[in-house]
Amino acid sequence: MIELKNIQKYFYKGEEREVHALKNINLKIAQGEFSVLTGSSGCGKTTLLNAIGLLDKVSSGEIYLDAKEIAHLSDEQKTNLRLNKMGFVFQAYNLIPVLSVKENIAFIMRLQGYKESDIDERVNELAELLEIKEKLDYLPSLLSGGQQQRVAVARAVATKPKIILADEPTANLDHKNSESLMEMMKQLNEKENITILFASHDDYVVKMAKRVIHLKDGEITEQ
Amino acid sequence: MYKTIFSLAIKNAFLRRIRASLLILMIASSMSVMLVIEGLYDGMTASMIDKALRSDSGEVTIFAKDYRLKQYIKYSIKDADKIKKELKELNDVKSVLTRFKINGLAGSAKASYPSDLIAVDFKDEEEFGEFSEFIKEGSLKLGKNGCIIGKELAKNLKLRLNSKVIFTSRDVNNNIVSKLFRIKAIIQSTNINLDSKTLLVPKEAIYKHIGLDNSSATQIAVRTDNEKLIDTIKEKYPSLDVMSFWQYNPLLNQMQDSMIIFNSITFAIVMGVVFIGILGVMYVSILDRIREFGIMLAVGYSYKYIRYQVMLEAVVLGLIGFIIGTVLSLVFLYYLHIYGLDMSEFSDGFASFGMSSILYTEIKTAYFTSIFLAIIFASILSVFLPLRKIKKLTPTDVIRNSL
Repeated sequence: MIELKNIQKYFYKGEEREVHALKNINLKIAQGEFSVLTGSSGCGKTTLLNAIGLLDKVSSGEIYLDAKEIAHLSDEQKTNLRLNKMGFVFQAYNLIPVLSVKENIAFIMRLQGYKESDIDERVNELAELLEIKEKLDYLPSLLSGGQQQRVAVARAVATKPKIILADEPTANLDHKNSESLMEMMKQLNEKENITILFASHDDYVVKMAKRVIHLKDGEITEQ
Repeated sequence: MYKTIFSLAIKNAFLRRIRASLLILMIASSMSVMLVIEGLYDGMTASMIDKALRSDSGEVTIFAKDYRLKQYIKYSIKDADKIKKELKELNDVKSVLTRFKINGLAGSAKASYPSDLIAVDFKDEEEFGEFSEFIKEGSLKLGKNGCIIGKELAKNLKLRLNSKVIFTSRDVNNNIVSKLFRIKAIIQSTNINLDSKTLLVPKEAIYKHIGLDNSSATQIAVRTDNEKLIDTIKEKYPSLDVMSFWQYNPLLNQMQDSMIIFNSITFAIVMGVVFIGILGVMYVSILDRIREFGIMLAVGYSYKYIRYQVMLEAVVLGLIGFIIGTVLSLVFLYYLHIYGLDMSEFSDGFASFGMSSILYTEIKTAYFTSIFLAIIFASILSVFLPLRKIKKLTPTDVIRNSL
C-alpha cells in the first residue's frame, strides 16, 4: 500500500547547521497493518511520519501510495490526497477551536461533500463508540485531554481513510486514557481494516503494535 | 463545503468580539462622518447653483454681442420681447424672462456706491425663480417709485425700508440722469452681485426715464431641463451671445470641480483608514490562528478554502460596518437635509462666498454605492498580505512540534 524508496531528508541543507534527518529510508507498509515507528527522541520518527503524510517535502526519494508516486505532487494535489486518503491524529489534539465536537468530527466529511444525513449517522456512531455522545455540542476547550484526543480520533476515522498517521497520540494522556485510546484504535484497525501507523516511544503503544519499526539517527535499524 | 467555509468565517469573524466591534464601529463612524461632510459640501454647491440659476442666469443666458465686455446700454437686445415670445414656444422651455441692467451710482444721504439698476418684470421673476423667497424685509407691493435693494448694498448705503435712494446713470443719449426711489423691500439671495450692488425696479419705472425702447433688454434668461436646448437657441440666434450656465458662471464650475476633488480626497483618506483598520485586524486575527490554519491544511482544507474563508471574514466585518454606517449616515444626512446646519455665526463669511449660512445636505444614492464598492474592495485587498503568510506555510511549519 505505502512504499518508501531511498527517502532522504535534510534540514537547513548547505548551511553549517545542516541536519540529515532521514537517511536512505526504504519501507513498505501493507493495507491493514497496525505498526509503530519507535526510537529515541530526535531519531526521525516525526520527520518520517510527516513525509509519509505529505506534510513536509522530502529532499530526495520516492513515496508510493497504491503504486502511485505521491512525493512530487503539487501542494493542491497533496492536500486533496490527505483529505481523501489519510487521517491524522496529533499529539496536541489540534481540534478547530471555534467548531463544536460534532462539527469537528464532521469537518472532513463536509469537505468531502457527504450528505448531512450520512454525516449525522456517522458522527453518532463514532460518538457512541468513543464515548463522547454527551459532549457533541461542546466546544473542544470544554473537554478533558482524553476526550479531545478521542474527538481527534473520531475526526481522523470519520471518512474511513486508507491510512491513519498518529504521532505520539498518548503523550498527553494518563495510562487509563492511553489504554482506552489504543484499544479503540485497535478496534478500528480490525473492524474497518484501516492501516494505522504510530510514531511513539510509549512502551504500551509499542507493545500493542503488530509491527515495530525501530529508527536510530534517521535510519531504520530493525523492522 | 461552502456552508462550512461560511460557518467558519462567521464564527471566526466574531471570535474576538471587542476587536470585531471596534472595527465595525470604526468603519461605520468614518463612513458617516465622511458622508455627512460630502453631503454638506454637495448641498452647499447645489444651493449656490440653485440660487444662481433662479436669481440670475437660468440654464441659458442670452446677451447682445459685445454687451458682456462693454456693459453699455447701447449693446442691448433690441427685439427682446419678440425673442422671449419665440423662446417660450420652443419645446422644453419652462420659463423665459428679460432684464435690463444699467450701471451707475446709488446714493443715500450718508454714502454712495457703484451699483446696477435692473429693470425686471416681477411676475416673470416669480415664475422664473420664485423671487419672493429672496425677500427678507418688505414686500413686492412697490407702488410709485418703489424699488428693491440687495441686503449688502442697503447696509453699505445705511438704508432701511422706506428710505430714499438716488440712482444716477447715463441715458441712451449719454446724458447724466438721476431718479429717486423709495425702498420697499430688501432681498438676500446669496448671489453676491444681486445682494451687494443691485437695485431692482419694474421695467415701466425706468424705460421712459432712460429713453429706452420698451421691448429691449440687456439679458434674456431661460429655464429648461434640456441640456441640448442651448444648441437650438444658438442656431436660431447666431447674432446673439448665447451662453450655458457653466459658461456664464465659470467660478461656480471651478468651485464644483474643487468640491469633487475635495470629496475624492476625503473619500480616499477615509477609505485608506478603513483599509488600514481592516488590514490590521485581519493581520492580527490570522497570526493568532496560524496554527489552526496549519492544522486545517494538514487535514485537507486547501489554501483556496482558507483564502475564501479569510476574505469572507473581512467582507462580513466590512459589510456590517457598512450597514451600520449607512443607517447612521442616513439619519444624519436626512436630519441636516430637513433642518440644516445653522452656521449663522459665520454668516458674513459665508455670504462673501455667496453661500447661505444654513447648510443643507444633499443625499445621493451614489454616496452609498461608491462606499459599498470601496469597502468590499478594501476588505478583499486587506487580506492579501496576511494570506501571503499562510501561503508560504507547510503544515509542518506550524505543527512540527505537535504532530
